[in-house]
Amino acid sequence: MSTSEKKGKGMRLPGVMKDSHILTIIGLMLMVAVIMLILKPDAYFSGKNLTSMIFQFPEYGILAFGMMVCMIAGGIDLSLVGIMNLTGVLAALILKNMVQMDGTTVLNPGMVIPAIALAILVAIVVGAACGAFNGFIIGYFNLPAMLVTLCGLQLYTGLAYGITGGPAINGMCDAFKNIANGTIPGTSIPWVLLIFIAVLLVVAFIMKFTIFGHEIYFLGSNAKAAMYSGINTLRVTVLTYMFSGILGGVSGILITSHLNSAKSSNGSTYTLLTLLIVVLGGIHPDGGRGRVLGVTLSVLLLQMIANAFTLMHVSQNAKTFANGCLLIVALVLSVILANRPAKKKNTASAS
Amino acid sequence: MTTKSQKLKMALTSTPMILIYVMVIFCVVAAIRQPSFLSPATVVNLARASIFTMCFAICEMVVIISGGIDVSFPAVGCVAMYVPMYLNYNGIGPDNVFFFFGIAMLIGLFFGVINGILVSCLKLPPLIATLATSSIASGGLIMLLGTREFTSLPDSLEALYATNLLTYTSPDTGFTYPLTILVLVPVLLCVVVAIVMRYTMLGRGLYAIGGDKNAARIAGFNVRLLQFFAYIFCGVVAGATAMIYTTLMHSSTTTALMGEEMIIIAACVVGGCRLTGGHGNVGGTVLGVLLITLVQNNLNMLGIPTCWQTFAVGLILLLGSVLTSVQAKRQARLGKI
Repeated sequence: MSTSEKKGKGMRLPGVMKDSHILTIIGLMLMVAVIMLILKPDAYFSGKNLTSMIFQFPEYGILAFGMMVCMIAGGIDLSLVGIMNLTGVLAALILKNMVQMDGTTVLNPGMVIPAIALAILVAIVVGAACGAFNGFIIGYFNLPAMLVTLCGLQLYTGLAYGITGGPAINGMCDAFKNIANGTIPGTSIPWVLLIFIAVLLVVAFIMKFTIFGHEIYFLGSNAKAAMYSGINTLRVTVLTYMFSGILGGVSGILITSHLNSAKSSNGSTYTLLTLLIVVLGGIHPDGGRGRVLGVTLSVLLLQMIANAFTLMHVSQNAKTFANGCLLIVALVLSVILANRPAKKKNTASAS
Repeated sequence: MTTKSQKLKMALTSTPMILIYVMVIFCVVAAIRQPSFLSPATVVNLARASIFTMCFAICEMVVIISGGIDVSFPAVGCVAMYVPMYLNYNGIGPDNVFFFFGIAMLIGLFFGVINGILVSCLKLPPLIATLATSSIASGGLIMLLGTREFTSLPDSLEALYATNLLTYTSPDTGFTYPLTILVLVPVLLCVVVAIVMRYTMLGRGLYAIGGDKNAARIAGFNVRLLQFFAYIFCGVVAGATAMIYTTLMHSSTTTALMGEEMIIIAACVVGGCRLTGGHGNVGGTVLGVLLITLVQNNLNMLGIPTCWQTFAVGLILLLGSVLTSVQAKRQARLGKI
């Protein structure tokens, strides 16, 4: 970023390697791998375990990207889980109504593909609409993103709850289940891995190579300066949250397909998890700084840790506890790392 | 220059007045649809239902005014209600009201100190920091003490539960509606906090650091200490409130209060607190709590199924926050003239 930082950390390391966050994450990943190599080498490094890991992370990984985009823009999106469940419920309803089922056999096979296509389309459009609504309220009324997205969480969860009336919608057709549970025919590569990589590439492309992506970074680092330099901040805010909403919609399809059920309270721990991923991945909570690569690695790290916990038969609550501790450590680390260049600059100018 | 009529107009369209209009309209509609709504029983029920919402909202308000936010109080409250019951179940400690409330408040104090350290010393964003505290508290609690549900109270708390301020007996149905003595706790809390926030250096300091931390520091306020105070106050009051919840509900579980934070923050925001800090008062918060409790408990009186309740609360929160923003803009415009 600044010239002093480049001087301070040495110019020998190329590009990405200079980012201390990414180095930390890679270090932690190696640490987890070594610990598991000592404790449970057979179970952890088997192909079966690897596949089961791949099936788990895309749904919250994609949510984490949505959170990342908003946090880079200087906001936060707490409504992602709400959007995910609302879109999941709508998709499940469409499938239940369009595809007639008798037990597990489909009575009208011709309708399966159009129904799935429509479900995905509706999920993405509704996700985009929810996100755009958040963004509009935040940008137009100048309200804190935290407050508006908290309202959003309540609204979208409430909408999903009102539509279902409480009970979960179960039993979608096999073709839909295969989106998140199936593998590419003939190989053992899950479809979700491809979807995750596609989303990752799109997000990385938008953040790195488009004007919109640079506007998001600019808005996050200094909203006032961005406004005075001619950026339509309202438009960028709406688009940012819309982007995040679309990712929420994609994730809604994945979780509905993965669990083969949709209800308003699925994945309630994901808000904390995505925040943890994003902060651990080096996105600064005040916005303006962070890399897609860091978030991707941090998704993988979290999945490695979660899987290690499962193999060690540690309870879900211990996982919550550990995630909380990890979040605080990551935050402290990011604050210290962010202050270090500034301090160096101060001491340099003083001497 | 503001004339008398302009002043009146401002007073009639201020946030508390709008809340009162909404409540009156709600009550009138509910009374038309369901005449039994108009009975002292509704008032007693409302007072009972708003006891802990009110206490939580007051402590959350103090944190919000100081420019922070605390979403960890439901988890802290769960720890504070579970641990004393757990101790009692295992025969540790005396069967004494002060002991139970003391333990609960100590637990609240402990987590308040943690939040205070994270936010004021380490300068972490309050939302994320308290979210982390929340998961540490609830995860750690279940991990260490397991999940059990305590549905019977120790004798001393049972005695407290049975102490009523007044009892209303419905003449038609013969049902009795007791109003517990614990209703005095939020009333007392409101009065004390209102006086402290308005007339003491501590209260003015909390407003000052919420408005502008740097300006407050230069004006001589100890920003760190004041932030610490806000989080510790929130923790301690949340602990005591959780014990009240246990006493009134006859139940103590590890997840009883989870998810409550949304409604509490909603009540504060609807009552005129701004999440950016420095704005809000006890009167507005009380009205916000009453409105939310009224809607939560009587939505079915309007003929709306309870499954839409979450949505309705979200809608109120959204309208409330938009209203706050519009009011702020209006005040700024008046200031310029």
